[in-house]
Amino acid sequence: MKLRAVREGLLLIALACLPAIGEAIYFRDKISWQSPIPASELVTVDQARAWGDSATWADARPDEEFARDHVPGAFPLNEDRWNELLPQFLSHWLPEKKVVVYCSAESCNAARDVAKRLRDEAQLKDVFVLQGGWEEWVKKTR
Amino acid sequence: MRIFWPVLAAILVATAVIALIVSKKFRVRYLWRILDLIVGGIFIYAGVIKALDPVQFANDIDNYKTLPWFISVRLAFYLPWLEIVCGLTLIFRFLYRGGLSILTALILIFVGATIAAKARGLDITCGCFGHASKNWNFTSHLLLDLLILAAALVLFSRVGRTKKS
Repeated sequence: MKLRAVREGLLLIALACLPAIGEAIYFRDKISWQSPIPASELVTVDQARAWGDSATWADARPDEEFARDHVPGAFPLNEDRWNELLPQFLSHWLPEKKVVVYCSAESCNAARDVAKRLRDEAQLKDVFVLQGGWEEWVKKTR
Repeated sequence: MRIFWPVLAAILVATAVIALIVSKKFRVRYLWRILDLIVGGIFIYAGVIKALDPVQFANDIDNYKTLPWFISVRLAFYLPWLEIVCGLTLIFRFLYRGGLSILTALILIFVGATIAAKARGLDITCGCFGHASKNWNFTSHLLLDLLILAAALVLFSRVGRTKKS
């Protein structure tokens, strides 16, 4: 019975590859394969600093971390209080400005999620995620 | 998406009726078949939801912080189809043992990953049912996983007792 289950299981594992490969081919240009954020949507600390006043900063970290310290001029914009913070953020946003979103470190996902929501829900175009997040900012500026 | 639910429900019901009719001994196996259909249906539903939005599912896997992105994104394309294919084996009783073994292994992995994520303090959505499960809390989604696991184990115990599936 065990051998039969293994044989059938292997067959099913192989069978599931076919539609998966088909779908992956269909989505090949719609997804980033090497990094969760496409390179075109990432910005380094040096690049973002060079933008100066032409960038608006959004801090996607929790409120307590924002209160402790943040990038000068950044606005809090986390998902915990999204409905409350988004209008506040948009009231400071200007169409000609780029938006730089950051969270704690390279490994956090909050900046990616906030950037996605800014694009999808607020229809903002030039939204970038800060590479390395707050950790990298501290390293480069202090 | 409004049309999706009724269509999916209609497909599942139609599949269930066909599967019951084609099964020769359906009167004897009635209760087992219902359990087959429920477990198979749940996995097909979960697979379809995720296959429709592989990008979101890749992000959900990535949120667990256990696999590098390049693996998460490939799994996001593969796992939903594995769930669908194995779910179908339960419904049509074709390659049944293999399908049930894989689904049981999958649900064990999901339970383990959910508990591990909670233990590591990650506040994440499981992604098990795409956006439908976005607001589920830890307890409710662990409970559902355990219920499915229990059902799969019950089906397994029956496979062990019968000579032919």
